[in-house]
Amino acid sequence: MYEIRVHGLGGQGSVTMATWIAKAGYATGKHVQAFPFFGAERRGAPVKAFARIDEDPINLRSQVYDPDLLVVTSPNLLDAALSDGFSEHGHLLINCGEDLAKRLSGECKMDIFYLDAISIAMDAGLEYDGMPMVNIPLFSAVIKQAEIGSFEVVMDVLAGPSGRGNPDDYMTAARKGFEGVRVAKL
Amino acid sequence: MKVLETGNHLVALAVRAAGVEVVPAYPITPQTQVVEKIADLIDQGKMDAEYIPVESEHSACAALIAASLTGVRAFSATSSHGLAYMHEMLHFAAGLRTPVVMVNVNRSLGPGWNIWCDHQDSISARDTGWMQVYVSSHQETVDTVIQAFRIAEDHDVMLPIMVNLDAFVISHTYMDAIVPEPEEVSEFLPRYRPLWALDTRLPVTHGSVVYPSEFSETRQSMQQSQTRAIGVIKEAATRFGELFGRHHGDMVDYYRLDDAEYVIVSMGSLAAETMISIDAMREKGIKVGLLRVRFFRPFPVAELQELCRGRKSILVIDRNYSYGLAGVLYTELKAALYGLSDTPVRNLIVGLGGRDVSNELIAEKAMESFEGKLGEITWGDTQITKAHVVTRELLERFQELYNKK
Repeated sequence: MYEIRVHGLGGQGSVTMATWIAKAGYATGKHVQAFPFFGAERRGAPVKAFARIDEDPINLRSQVYDPDLLVVTSPNLLDAALSDGFSEHGHLLINCGEDLAKRLSGECKMDIFYLDAISIAMDAGLEYDGMPMVNIPLFSAVIKQAEIGSFEVVMDVLAGPSGRGNPDDYMTAARKGFEGVRVAKL
Repeated sequence: MKVLETGNHLVALAVRAAGVEVVPAYPITPQTQVVEKIADLIDQGKMDAEYIPVESEHSACAALIAASLTGVRAFSATSSHGLAYMHEMLHFAAGLRTPVVMVNVNRSLGPGWNIWCDHQDSISARDTGWMQVYVSSHQETVDTVIQAFRIAEDHDVMLPIMVNLDAFVISHTYMDAIVPEPEEVSEFLPRYRPLWALDTRLPVTHGSVVYPSEFSETRQSMQQSQTRAIGVIKEAATRFGELFGRHHGDMVDYYRLDDAEYVIVSMGSLAAETMISIDAMREKGIKVGLLRVRFFRPFPVAELQELCRGRKSILVIDRNYSYGLAGVLYTELKAALYGLSDTPVRNLIVGLGGRDVSNELIAEKAMESFEGKLGEITWGDTQITKAHVVTRELLERFQELYNKK
């Protein structure tokens, strides 16, 4: 069983990303689960989403408290994300630049992957309602670092109905996410 | 066809597979995706049914009843306050003996305003004459919706069924499941053929005044149908298993129960989570099993009496509460076991208003209960403080603050 918890802000597409992760796992023949927890559904409010992937049918129905991968889509959510539980054997994937990632790697008990998803999304022109669509490069990074599948799986999932933005821009951003995710070391 | 979908969308696909002809519905969180998807399927020509957008849940149920009485297969879905709002019509649906199926996405009732899962809504509709079934997985959701029509429409039953699934935990969660095509279902569930139907060419009155001299008989007859439904439910589960290779239990389902000295009883998605608790406790050498109540009405009295016999201790988990007494599954189970054994039966209340319930919490509380460390009724996940308790002292403090304003 591989478990993922995503912390994001309303409008960043965190819930959608958890669904994509499940779709990717499903495409590789696994049993999957993805679900959100959100309070008032408003832009900018903290959002949590969860995904599980397993060889066997999944009976767990509770939230994920010790994720194999903790995804944080905005650095200011990190404290809240950690306070919801983490595993020291797990990894953190955070949307930030190299400097911050290096600093965090000294403080955090988990190994850290980082990706500047905002720059990637903006460079690809992926913006929705004034917010960069960070979920596309981050999703791609998740699929690579969690070894859920190849880039073909990412392309298959993103080729499905999406409705926001240009599919070619999706692929550009996804490719950069897949190739650009790095391990933070002091 | 295998799909990856939310529980709500799976309901819609199952309704399509069941050949439903009329869907009157009013949207409410967390049910909305069900009726949205059905509307989409009809709009895209993938489902041949009449969708009636009504102005309230009361009207949704009224239209559901009326459609059914004209001799067509009818379905609706609701949740929480929507179910409460149609409460009067729930009695009508059962009293008029309409074999309709309705999905209720289990959500708490406010105030405090809350859109998340507990079973207070359907438990509050317990005595309306409807059959009630609670599912614990996505696949069971699909298969139960299809079975529900066969059970309700059986000419020896002719009562409505409420299929209950947990808000968000099932309704909004994506999981993989198999959805049969309509032509695969038609052998198990042929077209609805009522023995009579309302017809304007042959006008009759149905549901008019019944005097005291006959009323009790109509009610006794409803109970007789509930009793006959038990056999029909079992037969439907068996036949479905033969045709589709999937069986989720009938009146009840169970897990690692054969040699169990201790039993945890629960309903809905909590039962799936409890299976993880059972595995963890078994690894520590505790002989514990799960007994999952699927059908809450008709209540599985004989099955519970049989499966609870000779156990050392029983813990009933309720995601509802009957104020002034206890959790409702607990009181019903105790009534079923009355006079048969001295086995202690205790009650754990958890997961109200969508509070997350982990398998660790269930295992911890179950161990405490089986060791006799818990009282009769335990609120398992609350941390109640002075600020929560309505007393004269608190009201006086509030009055003071209020007057200062």
